[in-house]
Amino acid sequence: MDTTRPMPLTQPWSKKFWEGCREGCLLIQRCQDCQNNIFYPRKFCPECWSGNLNWIEAGGRGRIHTFSTAYDMVEPRFWEDLPYTIAYVDLEEGVRMMTRIVDCRPEDIHMDMEVEVVFHKLNDEFHLPYFRPVKG
Amino acid sequence: MAQPNLAIIGIGEVPTRIMPERTRWDILYEVCMEAIRDAGLHKNDIEGVIATSPQAQPVIAAELAFGKLPEELGLKGCKDNCICNAGGAGTSNCLRLAEQYIHSGVARAVLIPHVTVHSDIPMEDTINFFARAGVDMQWEYPFGSTYNLIMGLMANRYMHESGCTPEQMAAVVTSLRSWAVKDPHSLFYGKEVPSVEKVLASAMINTPLHKRESNRLADGGSAMVVVSAADARKMKKPAAYKLGEAVRYFSGTPVLRNFDQVKDGLRSTAEEALAQAGISRGDVNIWNCYLAYPLAHPLMAEMLGVAPEGRGGEYFAQGRMAFGGDIPWSTMGDAPGRGHTGSGVSAATYVETARQLMGKAGERQVKDCLYVFQNTSGGSGFNNIATIWGREV
Repeated sequence: MDTTRPMPLTQPWSKKFWEGCREGCLLIQRCQDCQNNIFYPRKFCPECWSGNLNWIEAGGRGRIHTFSTAYDMVEPRFWEDLPYTIAYVDLEEGVRMMTRIVDCRPEDIHMDMEVEVVFHKLNDEFHLPYFRPVKG
Repeated sequence: MAQPNLAIIGIGEVPTRIMPERTRWDILYEVCMEAIRDAGLHKNDIEGVIATSPQAQPVIAAELAFGKLPEELGLKGCKDNCICNAGGAGTSNCLRLAEQYIHSGVARAVLIPHVTVHSDIPMEDTINFFARAGVDMQWEYPFGSTYNLIMGLMANRYMHESGCTPEQMAAVVTSLRSWAVKDPHSLFYGKEVPSVEKVLASAMINTPLHKRESNRLADGGSAMVVVSAADARKMKKPAAYKLGEAVRYFSGTPVLRNFDQVKDGLRSTAEEALAQAGISRGDVNIWNCYLAYPLAHPLMAEMLGVAPEGRGGEYFAQGRMAFGGDIPWSTMGDAPGRGHTGSGVSAATYVETARQLMGKAGERQVKDCLYVFQNTSGGSGFNNIATIWGREV
């Protein structure tokens, strides 16, 4: 039974994103030619095919577009986390990402809930951007 | 898009069961021979073989890709062989490629088989496969995403926006299974139809998906023989003619799948396929929807204009799509009713479309069935292919 935690399968152009996560920064790619904010990171802008891409630091806040809490039927490598909540979060920068919602009870999570990023260390290389409810 | 020119003239299928002693080649022999005999052809009339790629079964997938089937069955007239893989949309692509084989002169008759045996695959491997298929390995999988969770995310948002209740969602299972229990090819043939209460009492896998709203993995297989519409007419046998098709691509990565774009894609592909077929919504006798999970059926009913927006769940709860209801819907019960055979459910859905148009659906036969809408979708929903099939051109 494989209980090894899976690591993100990166591409050369996504390494900067994971470096940012290690340093506590949520980075979003930005096209310098068409000003498009891009997530997930690409080699070329998916809107205009420009290679002139850089990174901006996101504010780290967003809203839950949708979510689902897992109680069963996940791989053994995630069993110790059950129950856990997967969500799509819309960032203020206009991009959507998959994440986990943490630091709250699953029954308290709701659509359009305001959340903020918190980084979860998998190992020295990867810190996953999770989100938690904004307090107050 | 050019006018389709294709007809299904022969079908074969084995009952969907959990039966590891029935090998993949057992199934392939049975379904291919049945389909060719049903077409009224000799084995050597088959000039092309295009198989739907089995999922999570690398040995049989390689055997089918590299030409073993024509040799095994002694199809002496076969000129070429290949497989198509687009997950649940694989069979739709087999049919398109068969059309190309026929019209380019490669083949006059093409065999399209599928086989899946889940029951001899270790459960852990199956769970691993379905956790990763159609999910991004960098931006989704490390968070603990699974196929079930992707469906749960979509269903929760739909329920939030539409007001669809858990009871209405559970009624979709009841409806699909009401067809399945009357289908000798279903895993649930002759069994009890679960009540809404029983569905909701089953354990929660992930919100809002209960165990009885998920699929039982099973073994099965089917095959079709297709020819040009002109050849089918000459044969003067019951046939299913392809009349219209439309398609939209959404996204490979579920998190990038815009919900409004999907809704628009479901709606517009149906409209375009109907227009190409030259019929209207009211002419359709069966809405044969392939969605793999029950949770998307109410949304599909709304996007097809079968139910008013926001009332798809209500229609299922009223039993309108169930066996005996006024809207024949997924008459083999989709994957929740048939048993999930990977990419084989959509293959079986085409066989069911043909079966209904040929008048061979037994107790489930929809009276005077002239036109069937059928859709397929691949991966975790990266696209939607809408087709219209008719008893005559």
